[in-house]
Amino acid sequence: MTEAATPPPDASFHSSEEAVARLKKRRSAETRLKLYGMIAIGLAALALVALLWNIVARTMNAATEHYIAIEAQIEPDEDDFLKVVKKSARASFPYVSGRTGKRELYGLFSDGAADDMRRAQEAGTLETGEAVPMRFLVSDTADLYMRGEFGALESQESAGGLTITEDGKKFVLRAQDKAFIDAVGRAKAGLAREADSLRQQAARQIAGITVQQARLDSVTGLEREDMLAQIDGFRKTRDRLEGQASALDALITGSGDTRLELTDRMASFFVMVNGGILKLTEVSADTALAVPLVPLDSADPVAGGAWTLRILDRPEVGRPVKDQQVAILETLQREGRIEEVANWKFFSLSDSTQPEIAGIKGALIGSLWTMLVTFSLAFPIGVMAAIYLEEFAPKNRFTDFIEVNINNLAAVPSIVFGLLGLAVFLNFFGVPRSSPLAGGLVLALMTLPTVIIAARAAIRAVPPSIRWAAMGIGASKTQTVFHHVLPLAMPGILTGTIIGMAQALGETAPLLMIGMVAFITAVPEGITDSATVLPVQVFNWANASERAFDMRTAAAIAVLLAFLVVMNAIAIILRKRFERRW
Amino acid sequence: MLSWAALLVCALAVAGFFVAKGRAVALGGDTPAILHSRPVYHGGFVAIRTALAGLCVLIFGLILSNIAIRWALYSGLPAGLSGIERDLIVSDGVALAGGNLASRSGEARDVVAALYARLSMIQGWGLALASVGVAGFALMRGLRQVSIPFRARSRFERIVQIVLAISAGIAVLTTIGIVASLLGQTLVFFSEIPVWNFLFGTLWSPLSGVHDGAMDPGKVGAVPLFAGTLLITVIAMLVAVPVGLFSAIYLSDFASARARSIIKPMLEILAGIPTVVYGFFAAITVAPFLRDTGAAMGLSVSSESALAAGVVMGIMIIPFISSLSDDVINAVPQSLRDGSYGLGATKAETIRNVILPAALPGIMSAVLLGVSRAIGETMIVVMAAGQGANLTANPLEAVTTVTVQIVALITGDTEASTAAGPAFALGFTLFCITLIFNIWALRLVRKYREVYD
Amino acid sequence: MTETDPIKFRCQGVNVWYGQTHAIKDNDIDIHDKAVTAFIGPSGCGKSTFLRCLNRMNDTIDICRVSGSLLLDGEDIYSREIDPVQLRARVGMVFQKPNPFPKSIYDNVAYGPRIHGLARNKADLDVIVGESLGAAGLWDEVKDRLAAPGTGLSGGQQQRLCIARAIATKPEVLLMDEPCSALDPIATETVEELISGLGERYCVVIVTHSMQQANRISRRTAFFHLGNLVEYDTTDAIFSTPQDERTIGYVSGRFG
Repeated sequence: MTEAATPPPDASFHSSEEAVARLKKRRSAETRLKLYGMIAIGLAALALVALLWNIVARTMNAATEHYIAIEAQIEPDEDDFLKVVKKSARASFPYVSGRTGKRELYGLFSDGAADDMRRAQEAGTLETGEAVPMRFLVSDTADLYMRGEFGALESQESAGGLTITEDGKKFVLRAQDKAFIDAVGRAKAGLAREADSLRQQAARQIAGITVQQARLDSVTGLEREDMLAQIDGFRKTRDRLEGQASALDALITGSGDTRLELTDRMASFFVMVNGGILKLTEVSADTALAVPLVPLDSADPVAGGAWTLRILDRPEVGRPVKDQQVAILETLQREGRIEEVANWKFFSLSDSTQPEIAGIKGALIGSLWTMLVTFSLAFPIGVMAAIYLEEFAPKNRFTDFIEVNINNLAAVPSIVFGLLGLAVFLNFFGVPRSSPLAGGLVLALMTLPTVIIAARAAIRAVPPSIRWAAMGIGASKTQTVFHHVLPLAMPGILTGTIIGMAQALGETAPLLMIGMVAFITAVPEGITDSATVLPVQVFNWANASERAFDMRTAAAIAVLLAFLVVMNAIAIILRKRFERRW
Repeated sequence: MLSWAALLVCALAVAGFFVAKGRAVALGGDTPAILHSRPVYHGGFVAIRTALAGLCVLIFGLILSNIAIRWALYSGLPAGLSGIERDLIVSDGVALAGGNLASRSGEARDVVAALYARLSMIQGWGLALASVGVAGFALMRGLRQVSIPFRARSRFERIVQIVLAISAGIAVLTTIGIVASLLGQTLVFFSEIPVWNFLFGTLWSPLSGVHDGAMDPGKVGAVPLFAGTLLITVIAMLVAVPVGLFSAIYLSDFASARARSIIKPMLEILAGIPTVVYGFFAAITVAPFLRDTGAAMGLSVSSESALAAGVVMGIMIIPFISSLSDDVINAVPQSLRDGSYGLGATKAETIRNVILPAALPGIMSAVLLGVSRAIGETMIVVMAAGQGANLTANPLEAVTTVTVQIVALITGDTEASTAAGPAFALGFTLFCITLIFNIWALRLVRKYREVYD
Repeated sequence: MTETDPIKFRCQGVNVWYGQTHAIKDNDIDIHDKAVTAFIGPSGCGKSTFLRCLNRMNDTIDICRVSGSLLLDGEDIYSREIDPVQLRARVGMVFQKPNPFPKSIYDNVAYGPRIHGLARNKADLDVIVGESLGAAGLWDEVKDRLAAPGTGLSGGQQQRLCIARAIATKPEVLLMDEPCSALDPIATETVEELISGLGERYCVVIVTHSMQQANRISRRTAFFHLGNLVEYDTTDAIFSTPQDERTIGYVSGRFG
């Protein structure tokens, strides 16, 4: 191979058509890669937006609470405020009767209404008398209804008139222009749904039959008879279900003139007329049978436009808020007696089993105590360890080992630290369970690697010239480090520490291990009291079955995130402010 | 009692500081320079010695006396009981002594309670007196040493250095503590349950066959948990690795400075969100969404599907992978990029043929650390994955993981000493697996650094 | 004799800014084919910047702006029709610090041909790699260990590997940015010989901080100072009869 063998450069190749065509392909491969990158970032952004939007939207709901303004009868030395609430409710809604009706009426009010009065009494601001205007906190169900969580009440204006005839406890309604035709349609849709679900159940019976028949050959004697009886049972159930479904079908295909009976498995239909609310129990295209939920002023016939048909699509059986409650709430709403106010109580109350009176004060204070313990351990120990490793440690295998250890500890799953805390701090040293002390100790051990790594980086960034200058005027190594290096490294150390503390603030898993998951309603007064912390509160509420806890969970998350944002902002400002380029 | 003793020791130390400093000032008189060390060092030396002496007695005394008390409680038990029964009696006795509820009552437990109450009172008083006494002695000796030629500063600095070294040692102590506490309980567990059953058994229901605190060895097979953890980890990495890696590539080689200044903080926010928030997101939004989507397509998706937990965990790990990969990609020297561009390579070719191969060890280590995180992640799976140990590879079904079971065992209402065995055995397994991944990752990173630093 | 060489690059009114810094100030220069042209000048005079304009390597720096006309064979290399990727295949570059890819020697040289599709099969590629290594004078040293990593070679060998890598792409022009500054004197000598030889067949532009090197290997020399092209002539003329005060000062070693 000699130089002469090299052919002269082929000047035309890179401008040739082939090369140009190839280049086009290569360029599109490049565009593709860039596109993948943009898609990836788009996905990450989408996830972030979806997550934050979820939190924010729910938090908005938790930002306000609803009150009912009615009059209360309060004795000067009243002590049973739950009774006062019930008494006032009965007095304000005298037409609600029967045990179910009353239970539903009381169900509109929260125990928090009684708590409010007790607090007012303790503060000496409670008015007493026969008819004190008072705001009562609504229950979680009523609150969710007000927010439209169970579906909105659709409204159908009607052009034709309506005549009302009293018939015992019921009313017969006759509407012009077949005003109820839509209601009939919806009721039939409900029937169709029910028939569907009956048929699905029947299909399951059939599946059961097939399974048992397949096994039939392998068994004999009594067992076989048992099985045959079972199969027979399945058949009967199937036939009954299918019969019911067919009966429903017959109803559905019937003409609009036959009256259809309405059940709690169908949508609810309300007629608002003459200042009252009627609930339909049977309906055909132009007549309906109805019961009063809120009494009418009169039974006079009304012209078109003076009455409305309102529909709540979700069947009563599938929603916690009942028709009677809907009627009362709608009436109150119309009378302007429902107030929506900012929910500041969220910050002054602690955990509760009732979502509408659950707050985060306890968790907030618990977090504060825990962070105090964490900081006062992790910061000094972390800084001292970093000083030792950077300034004093001899370079030998032991310090290498420490270094590997620290890096490794930073990646140990947090739950393992929880197990360590459980075994060592709780079981061995007898630190009180679920106390901020125990939590703080565990989190301090977890945060330590972060603080050490950040502090070492900050100390390393101080140029050696500073050290030489101090040593040059006769300062000892220790004096040099503590008088000169440490103050210069401090902003960096603090930044790292704050970031570590922010991580610790959001940490949940290890705290579950040391009992901080317990239900605690008291605000902790010291580091040895039982307490919970913000992220654990989030966890507990997220696990609660009441739906109204969802928005409170989101609100607690919002508070947690707000703290994290503030901490990170401080870290960023610190870094920007004291950043030094040597 | 003990916290008062600690406070008293600290008070003695503070007093020692001022007295010693005052003495040194007095010795120096008008010519303070004749002192070898400045008065503040005399004060500091006395204070630090007093505090250390008192607190050391307190801490080591506490550890030793706790061991002694345990030993005394166990040796006082009637003979002929199994290990778990003995544990139960002691923990109940301790609970009774503290005025808490015990699982059962009985004579043996009352005896333990009485003994424990007496011993812990002796322990409290004894330690308090001993620590304050030792601190006082150290204070007196220190004050006597204050003199003009006394090298207080060198002594003080020596102690400071020792304290610094001890602080650094705490990291090692933590590791030892983790290993010791996990291993202790794990060994007890494996003394009753064969390791083989735990590692290779396929039925996990440890608390269902408990008789007198002894478990059914056929029901502690952790394979379904390992499989569930693996399934969720794989799903998470399938989300996190492509998204994280492509984001990193885009950020390092395509994005303008402006785009970087928006995207990087966005990823940092994603990284700063606590895992419990991701868990909430998974349980309340992603899982129902997947279930409904599945239903619309005719698939039956469990509302606690592995897919939901895995996808959200993947989202959590995206910033982790992207920022570590971004770092290593940026660490590939510009000269290599120049070399490739100088030959007429496009960006895509440069990335694929030069940068990625060069950055591969670093990217691998980021992925390994991500896997380690996914395996050890707790809150997302606790909130969004299932509880039932279901051995399946179908991502649409509910599976459970090692961490979920640890939480279920520890926070459940089973007797703590019974549940601790399987929980700590799982914890130890978890620790070992993540340790392997972490060390592997750290070695790769170290190798990578050696090449380019 | 020198003016008979055809002109490869014709540059007129070239300006380069890095952000606010005016790095190259309105320079005109013609670079001839099949000859070595050297750019000399004190540090920071803009010679490397100008070199990086010739294959648009400056495009990879965000804040860099170039104006003026740079014609390669009469074609404006900054025009919209020109793809910088294609341009860089035609105008190869060798850098100050040897930068072999962390791949085998063979793969380093084969990299360019592969991405540009110069070889139809493995045999073609083998030929190109062999010829390029031969042209770079490296074949005899590495023919037995083509699979060894390129980063394992000595500094001088690495730089020749980079030259082989550039030649393998079959460029028309070779740009060299202080190719010997990271090498020891013996390696420098080898590489200089190589560059002189390459000048027979390619248009070679070399930036150097060493006047002796320019004197030894180049046919023409351009002297840059503070972003200005001060003087451009045959190498003999620049070193024996410089016209400008600044050139005189520089070549006589009074500053630089």
